Amino acid sequence: MHVFLLGVSHQTAPIDVREQLDFSSRDVGTAVETLAARYSAGEAVVLSTCNRSEIYVASDDPARARSELIEFLGSYHNLPADAFEGHVFVRTDEEASRHLFRVAAGLDSLVVGEPQILGQVKDAFQVAAARQCVGPVLTRLFHTSFGVGKRVRSETGLGEGAISVGFAAVALARKIFGRLDGRGVLVVGAGEISTLTAQHLRSQGVGDIVITSRTAAHADALAAEVNGRAIPWGDLRGALAAADIVITATGSPRPILTRADVETVSGRRRGEPLFIIDIAVPRDVDAAVGEIEQVFLYNVDDLQAVVQENLSRRSSEIGRAESIVSEEVERFAAWRRSRGAVPTVVALRQRFEQIRRAELQRLESKLGALTPEARASVDEVTRLIVEKLLLAPTAQLKALPDQETQIAYTEAVNRLFELRDDTPLTPADEALDTERPNRTRS
Amino acid sequence: MTIVPLLLYLVSGVAYAVHFARRDAGVGRIATTALLVAALAHTFAIGMQTMELHHIPLASLPTAVSTFGWLLTLSYLYLEITTEERTMGVFILPIVIGLQTISVLSPGVEQSDSVFDSPWFWVHVVSLLCAYASFALAGVLGLTYMLQFKEIKKKHLGYLYERLPSLLTLDTMNSRAMTVGWVFLTVGLTVGIIWTAQARALAPDDPNLQAMSLDDPKIFFAVLTWVVYSFALFARTRLGWTGRRAAWLAAVGFAIILLNFLPIGYFVETSHTFQ
Repeated sequence: MHVFLLGVSHQTAPIDVREQLDFSSRDVGTAVETLAARYSAGEAVVLSTCNRSEIYVASDDPARARSELIEFLGSYHNLPADAFEGHVFVRTDEEASRHLFRVAAGLDSLVVGEPQILGQVKDAFQVAAARQCVGPVLTRLFHTSFGVGKRVRSETGLGEGAISVGFAAVALARKIFGRLDGRGVLVVGAGEISTLTAQHLRSQGVGDIVITSRTAAHADALAAEVNGRAIPWGDLRGALAAADIVITATGSPRPILTRADVETVSGRRRGEPLFIIDIAVPRDVDAAVGEIEQVFLYNVDDLQAVVQENLSRRSSEIGRAESIVSEEVERFAAWRRSRGAVPTVVALRQRFEQIRRAELQRLESKLGALTPEARASVDEVTRLIVEKLLLAPTAQLKALPDQETQIAYTEAVNRLFELRDDTPLTPADEALDTERPNRTRS
Repeated sequence: MTIVPLLLYLVSGVAYAVHFARRDAGVGRIATTALLVAALAHTFAIGMQTMELHHIPLASLPTAVSTFGWLLTLSYLYLEITTEERTMGVFILPIVIGLQTISVLSPGVEQSDSVFDSPWFWVHVVSLLCAYASFALAGVLGLTYMLQFKEIKKKHLGYLYERLPSLLTLDTMNSRAMTVGWVFLTVGLTVGIIWTAQARALAPDDPNLQAMSLDDPKIFFAVLTWVVYSFALFARTRLGWTGRRAAWLAAVGFAIILLNFLPIGYFVETSHTFQ
């Protein structure tokens, strides 16, 4: 059984193609069901985000899977194949698993290391699992990818450090104040970044958000957006005394807060720190304010520098993340190889069991004289002998290092024990595949 | 007996350092577990000595240094468990290991002196050691506060910025440690003064008791410590000296304590040198 992947992503397709091939979350379930039912793939997962649409299937015949999936995409989205075929990429087996693991780790994201993608990969798997559209191969593949995502986050710095000005400001505020619960925020001047930063702060549980602007209507609009309170421009200095975090973003050509302004209120603040985020250009806060003890002043350039540093630190972690991915790709490949031996192992066990039963049958007349307990013992002993004889060959077959050796060994075993390939699998035989995780998880 | 806790402290210290550098929660748990085991072993050692001597092993400098290290460990563990903040371990463990090494390398004989018979002596010594342990924590918290303050103020967010708790957390912990330490210090010094006066009346010929005055370096530095910490608490509540100023005072106060405890304790003949 092979893992086959076909998809488009921000790396291979422009936005208009991605939009056309997007599976909105309502459609993903039906898409997965159609795939699993109609095509040779019994297992299918569709991962669809704004940056990618990818179909993962378990297939015996990757060459056929490609044409089937192209046809499916075309008919599902009502598109001629040549409208998108040039933009799709395909991966099989190890390369498919590497791709998914890199996606889950955030290595394939537009913003490297962003954390949302892992949740999206989990959701995509859940949708398929809830519809019984995944089996052992994709279950193993996706569960491994969740592990890769977690490992990369905990063992590398790939997802660390804020990479937008708003988040960098919030991260700094947390480093100064610890928890932001109940902290007072003053927003001076309404703009895009100040709105975003205020929203981030709101989500961190800050207390009062007070907004003032020279244009009262702007202040009112922002207050409504971030669940804050607008105050008149004239009350700015009064509000400064109560604030722990100040965001300034006015269009004023001259500083609106001077050292004297802030020093006047410092006395009332009793040594509590004050964090001022000045995102206005030209600056709203006199640079000398930053010299006051317990005042931390960051302007937009300072925050940009923090973001840049975080970005470069993230890229320095890519190598470590890639090696975790490679490790897990190798582990998944080893598991997949061990699965190649499963039919032979099953056939071998059935053969031995057949012989055991046949011999017990043949001795039926002699065993007839025994008490039921003694007969049960004979049955148990013969069963145990068979089990023990098969223990080592089973383990050896599952642990073969590569596909060539595996073919040679299974061929030899088939010949030596005159096994037929078409031996039907029973539920008990399926249970042999002990390494397999739960079939579904809902 | 004291070598076992020392080895365990070393293991824990290495684990705290690895935890700090790699930010690996698993290693952090190992560090805490090792420190708990070390503290238990140390408690056992001190308990055995107490049973042997019929009093807490404090009456010689090496045993007092070891008991100080033990109290510092316990107060640090209390801080770590209540705040779930492990990053301070890497700063505290070197002090604990240093103290324990000094104690192991200079095994002293427990002195016996008639003054030790008084229960006041024990209240005096134990209170002061508790105070010193709290001030050691406050000193380390102050030092880390200053380092991180500098990074944020100068906008060079680096190694420590990523690892240390927030400034306000450090400041709050510092304030608590200083307050607790100040209470113990005040109790220890007050008891010392009252008890000296009583002992002088009972044993007018004891040269040590006669020498106990502000001219004595040990007493002078102890009083200086009290003045520094009293000022720090006053400045915090009345003058708004929080943050970096409070951190400075905590570091200076602890430097005076270390000076008083080790060089003066070991090398200078004072009224507190019992033969």
